[in-house]
Amino acid sequence: MLDASPQPSLQPPLETFPENAAPTDRTWHGHLDLEFSHRPGETILSRSLVKAPLKVQRPFYPEGKVVCHSIMLHTAGGVVGGDRLSSHIQLQPQAQALLTTAAATKIYGDKGIPASQTIHIQVGAGASIEWLPQETIVFDGALYHQSLKVELAEGARWLGWDILRLGRSARGERFSKGEWRSHTEIWQQGRLIWVDPQWLQGGDDMLESGHGLAGCPVIGSLAFVGEEVSEEFIVSIRNLLDIDSVSVSSPAQIAVSRLMSGFLCRYRGHSTSECRQKMIQVWQRVRQVYGERSLCLPRVWQR
Amino acid sequence: MSTPLGLPPIAFFSLLQLVSSALPVGAYSYSEGIETLVQTGQITNLETLEHWLTQELRSGALRVETLVLRRVYEALTAGQLDHLITWNHWLSAFRETEELREQSWQMGRSLTRLLSELYPQAPELLDPAGEPWNFAVGFAIAAYLGEIDLEVAIAGYLYSWASNLVTAGVRLIPLGQTQGQKLLMNLAPVLAAAADTVMQAEERLPLCTWGMAIASMQHETLYSRLFRS
Repeated sequence: MLDASPQPSLQPPLETFPENAAPTDRTWHGHLDLEFSHRPGETILSRSLVKAPLKVQRPFYPEGKVVCHSIMLHTAGGVVGGDRLSSHIQLQPQAQALLTTAAATKIYGDKGIPASQTIHIQVGAGASIEWLPQETIVFDGALYHQSLKVELAEGARWLGWDILRLGRSARGERFSKGEWRSHTEIWQQGRLIWVDPQWLQGGDDMLESGHGLAGCPVIGSLAFVGEEVSEEFIVSIRNLLDIDSVSVSSPAQIAVSRLMSGFLCRYRGHSTSECRQKMIQVWQRVRQVYGERSLCLPRVWQR
Repeated sequence: MSTPLGLPPIAFFSLLQLVSSALPVGAYSYSEGIETLVQTGQITNLETLEHWLTQELRSGALRVETLVLRRVYEALTAGQLDHLITWNHWLSAFRETEELREQSWQMGRSLTRLLSELYPQAPELLDPAGEPWNFAVGFAIAAYLGEIDLEVAIAGYLYSWASNLVTAGVRLIPLGQTQGQKLLMNLAPVLAAAADTVMQAEERLPLCTWGMAIASMQHETLYSRLFRS
């Protein structure tokens, strides 16, 4: 939550859209508009407009002023059919930001109409963003459409992941109806680098077949875009994840390959914490090689 | 000779030429992850191969790629040549593994070079690409130049895909040639349904690529490989 006490920084006050008092028709149209700017030796959150139920916490700097950590939150406890959430995140040139969420995002499944989340991220020249939201849990019967568009300027970098649980599988719930659509586009200087138009359907064979999710309720994708990576780098990621060879007894459930500028890692399995642990390893490797920086886990994950 | 498939005879023979395994684009050297799946015991016989190919036709990237083929053909028909490059970029970005992207580019390059030799009007269509043409885009251009109906071209594209991967599966599992032909017959209704879906699709199609992505990414790590994808 926001801390109203004065801060000894140059951060402007967090603004709130005036019309956000109550949801209409019991659905939310939340909005988040954030801008990060580079100042000598630091990155600041230079603009922050929020409309409930989306909010952002005051930024913090656990690894020095260069990287601004921000935690986004959804204050209504979950997303229901008809909710529309949108975010616009802008990084000015040279800014460096890490964004995550305060908790898993829950998508409830009882309304029969889609909920949507639309995210547009623009990353200025030489800037870099680490987009590390906690997992999304899509309840059985939910219809959820998410779209993410990232535009990178020259020398800008993207590292982002998306972790999804289909159904509250810990309770034995299966994703027997509903749908999850996810459209991701990552552009670099006007050129489309990666487009990923997934559309999973509850109860479909694709969830059980080895061709699709092989019965796994948890899937994840991690992409790094903005710079060509070497084959040796991909091999080092495989060694890290112990997936440099495959065997009949244990077909891989996580794998990695190069994109035109960067790489993609896909996971399917049964555990969001396993998925996150593996992706943290990959992220750490990217930080070592491309950021010359060690790992700094957001404290909000450790609760 | 009358009009087989409603096509003028020349177009009919263009179709046969385009979907023939003798088309020199190197399709035979790609397994699209099947080599990984055979080595890891996920595909072991006719039934498991049929299941994999059926799922690709029902919810895989193949249908989306074929929808792009349709968009390119429609753009050619409408004279919107700038759309060719847009869709070609889109397909390159849609390829989520290096081997699948290289496959599509290599086959596309071979096909478009061939078209430049076969059709005097081809070079002006093909010159402007800043990156290699993808095979599905090249196929759409070939179908347009050969005056093959869109619907027939889509069915032909899906068939040539199935025919190639059945051949790969027959070599890898291995299966008898007769079993391979039986499988190809079994797939006919699934191919027909996929072709209908692509023809009727408005914008997007159900899609789940995890199994294919992991199999293709893992192919890069196989110790011994007969195939290039």
